[in-house]
Amino acid sequence: MSVRIAPEPVVVDELITETAGRLFGELCTHEAVQAAEDSGGAPDIWEAFCETGFDLIAVPEEAGGSGGTLAEAIEVLRLVGYHSAPIPAAENGILGGWLLAQAGLERPDGLVTVVPPRAADGGWSGGETCSVSLNGDGTAVLSGEAHRVPWARSAETVVCVCEFDGTSTVVSVPASECTITPLPNMAGEPRDTVSFDGATGRAAPAPHGVDADALAQRGALSRVALMAGAIEKMCQLTVSYTNERVQFGRPVARFQAVQQHLVWAAQDAALVRMAAEVAAREATRGDAPFEIAAAKLVANQAAARATKACHQAHGAMGMTQEYPLHHFSRRLWSWRKEYGSDAHWSAVLGQMATGVGADGLYPLITSGTAALA
Amino acid sequence: MRFTPTELTGPELDLQTEVREFLAAELPPGAHEPCLGMAADHDREFSAKMAARGWVGMALPSRWGGSDRTAVQRFIVVEEMLRWGAPVGHHWVADRQTGNVILKFGSDEQRERFLPPICRGELGFSIGMSEPDSGSDLASVSTRAERADDGWVVNGTKIWTSNAHMNDWFICLLRTAPMEDGNKHAGLSQFLIDLQSPGLEISPIPFLDGSHHFNEVTFHDVFVPDVNVVGQPGMGWHQNTTEMAYERGGPDRWLSPFSTVEQLLREAAGTPMEDAVSDLFGELAARWWGIRNLSLSVARLIDEGEAPSVESALVKEMGTRYEQEVVEKLVQLIDEEYSPESESLFERLLAQCVVTFPGNTIRGGTIEILRSVASKGLQGLPA
Repeated sequence: MSVRIAPEPVVVDELITETAGRLFGELCTHEAVQAAEDSGGAPDIWEAFCETGFDLIAVPEEAGGSGGTLAEAIEVLRLVGYHSAPIPAAENGILGGWLLAQAGLERPDGLVTVVPPRAADGGWSGGETCSVSLNGDGTAVLSGEAHRVPWARSAETVVCVCEFDGTSTVVSVPASECTITPLPNMAGEPRDTVSFDGATGRAAPAPHGVDADALAQRGALSRVALMAGAIEKMCQLTVSYTNERVQFGRPVARFQAVQQHLVWAAQDAALVRMAAEVAAREATRGDAPFEIAAAKLVANQAAARATKACHQAHGAMGMTQEYPLHHFSRRLWSWRKEYGSDAHWSAVLGQMATGVGADGLYPLITSGTAALA
Repeated sequence: MRFTPTELTGPELDLQTEVREFLAAELPPGAHEPCLGMAADHDREFSAKMAARGWVGMALPSRWGGSDRTAVQRFIVVEEMLRWGAPVGHHWVADRQTGNVILKFGSDEQRERFLPPICRGELGFSIGMSEPDSGSDLASVSTRAERADDGWVVNGTKIWTSNAHMNDWFICLLRTAPMEDGNKHAGLSQFLIDLQSPGLEISPIPFLDGSHHFNEVTFHDVFVPDVNVVGQPGMGWHQNTTEMAYERGGPDRWLSPFSTVEQLLREAAGTPMEDAVSDLFGELAARWWGIRNLSLSVARLIDEGEAPSVESALVKEMGTRYEQEVVEKLVQLIDEEYSPESESLFERLLAQCVVTFPGNTIRGGTIEILRSVASKGLQGLPA
């Protein structure tokens, strides 16, 4: 009998990896991903994705979702990143679907997106340029602009979270009530501006622990998963390319100087996938502020190193639109900045690390969030 | 290549608690001068105390004096010892690799003779690989062992031999047949050599700061009996490569600056901290968390019967570079000039890191060699 109890294992059904991998492998060709960028969406890929039920994975069945664990949803997002699938899988499911289910708000048909919280803006996810007022009848009126809202142009519903008198409140607004200005991120993924201009939506209080901070963490975890997939694929492209490209009579991968790039990229791929899987495991069990913050910071830094290494190893070919490396590197440069920069998460982690003190520092590294209690 | 996430079981967590309690009692925090990772002080008494707990040679079978424990259990003991800066130097090499080599390739007679005293923390081993003309190109070693009655006669020189002046035994890679064209890995054998043998001469090679770790070991007709040949003569290269896998990927490759960072936090307690310093603690905790998870997964793979040589090489290459990065970040941030004579323990440790850590990416295989091993693995080529 042991004194300290290990938590129950968190298992991801292999069928999920297989099914999502096969689906994206067939649909997310280089051409299809490029076409989605040019047109601002990929409705056919989204439709096929929805047919599998993965669009609402980890959203409880009683709330109209597909069920499954957060860890399983994170595995699907890893594959979205690996195939650069141009779809709002995170926004519709573990972010928007989660907020609506938690607040007990009805889930309308069609795509749901979420206004990402800004670190500096405290409780209100729309940023300081927006304001919201609650009516007594469960409706809310929004004004102002929300920025960098993923896939808002294709969404039926825009969801945000804000605070009233210390109570976290989820607001769900029909996109038809808003004016949406398309804007891309660096990978050409939609990150639109939403003007509310007096839009009316439904509002409901969220349970304790469902607030802008929690959304920021969940959003960060979603980006780590996407980044883990993208770095792994970028790394595989680089190994293949450097084995095929012959210079000075041999594949360039045989040169030590090139091998250094391959090794460094492989390390970062392994590091970010590990970070994503451990953070997902802990977040599936409960609160995981340390693991998620650590994972996002590690992923942000790894994205910087790995994109540099993979581009360098590819030479000029990696700088062209014709070769697919950019689908991954540009997404990584964008995702690195979404849901918390290096500076933001370093500061959060710094508070935790200095808070536990010298004797608590190593236990924080080995036990994570559990050591903060 | 796949690093599968793993976590400690209940009994493994209990072991972690037990080790922490042992260390808190033996070496109270703030009251001992921590060592920097595996370059630790030699303290036969401390090694004996650890051995009494079953923490030396712990993964070796009980039949030979070990504790039948796993690679993960050894990982737990080692990481706690290193992060605490404990004086594990005396038994370090025997515990990490030589015991495993003797178990795997040695005769029953050798197991009987060496493993129980290793597990009691009594025997200190040095490693004889490098020579004046053989470093990264290890297969070119030319120190010769020639056949004699009931044994071998050794002539030549080994170099960079850590702690030969303090240890008891020397596990050496020697040439027992002339180098063949096209197969330089043939004709090498592993020997166990008593460091007190007649004709064996140990001369210090002072470290850059004047301290004594390195030695040159010269053999003048040193007789080694047949019973001290490990495994089959001629199989030394294979055995040695296997041995290197035990050297790589563990906490000794990424924890060396931890006690320095912890001491900075200890000395900063009670005074307002600049944001940049606080942020750095956060960043370092995150990076260590990530690397530790990779390293722990390698230990679990070993327990599952895998030979994760590529994974180990990746972790060691990353971990040792990270150790240097930690020191560089500390240096950038600290205003004070520091030296080995500073009043602050943190500053003394940092000074020692600055001077000794360039060696971290060299010892046990340079990172350039590790990249070559790892990238062959990534491309599916034989290492």
